[in-house]
Amino acid sequence: MFDLEKTITEWRRQMLAAGIRPPALVEELEGHLREEIEQLIKTGMDASLAFEIATGHIGQPRLLKHEFKKIERNSMKRVIIIALGVFASLTGPALILPALAKHKNMGIWSYDIAWLIILGAIIALAGMGMVILGFKKQKA
Amino acid sequence: MLRKELVAAAAEPLILSLLARGESYGYAIIQDVKARSGGKMNWTDGMLYPVLHRMERRGLIKARWGESETGRKRKYYSLKKEGKAAMEKHHEHWTLVHDVLSGLRKEHYV
Repeated sequence: MFDLEKTITEWRRQMLAAGIRPPALVEELEGHLREEIEQLIKTGMDASLAFEIATGHIGQPRLLKHEFKKIERNSMKRVIIIALGVFASLTGPALILPALAKHKNMGIWSYDIAWLIILGAIIALAGMGMVILGFKKQKA
Repeated sequence: MLRKELVAAAAEPLILSLLARGESYGYAIIQDVKARSGGKMNWTDGMLYPVLHRMERRGLIKARWGESETGRKRKYYSLKKEGKAAMEKHHEHWTLVHDVLSGLRKEHYV
């Protein structure tokens, strides 16, 4: 005898075992599954076939996981880009300010001072660019 | 039946346009698209959710947990201001594609 509740519980277990996370997502998918099963049963279909068709429409857990992983990967990339950008934006001034202080103390422009200021400016600008890129990625 | 690449490309503008009419949820969105396309646009149902979640992360739509008519938990999605702007952009782009195609088709029959 086909037990719909037991079968749905097993389906949910398989989704979680396949790595579909968080559980709230599985809950959302289960809600979808149940709505479709209900509609199919209303047309006169038996519960077992309705379950087969509805799970077929939801798709393989492996493919779903792959799609959700893509979202996580993109978010992680964005966070890394922004974090590196912030780090570079702070590193730039950390090179420039001591170089300027050295220039003030010595009263002359040396090759080392000029080089540190240019390098600091490049790093700071690159950092700011990365931060902007990171936020733009979110919108894209 | 439409090619799956075209269906995938149309997913975001369709979802945004449907949500512009009011909040909705996954199952209803799929049924609405199926009905409006005469069954010619078919998503693998599960694949709608990664799209919805991506759009939520990008700040185009927002989600809330509510209840269905039968008391079951259901996640509802609605459009945000940023989503409305993105929808306008999509409409502009798809209208352009449509106009170019229509123009070429007319030339073909002249």
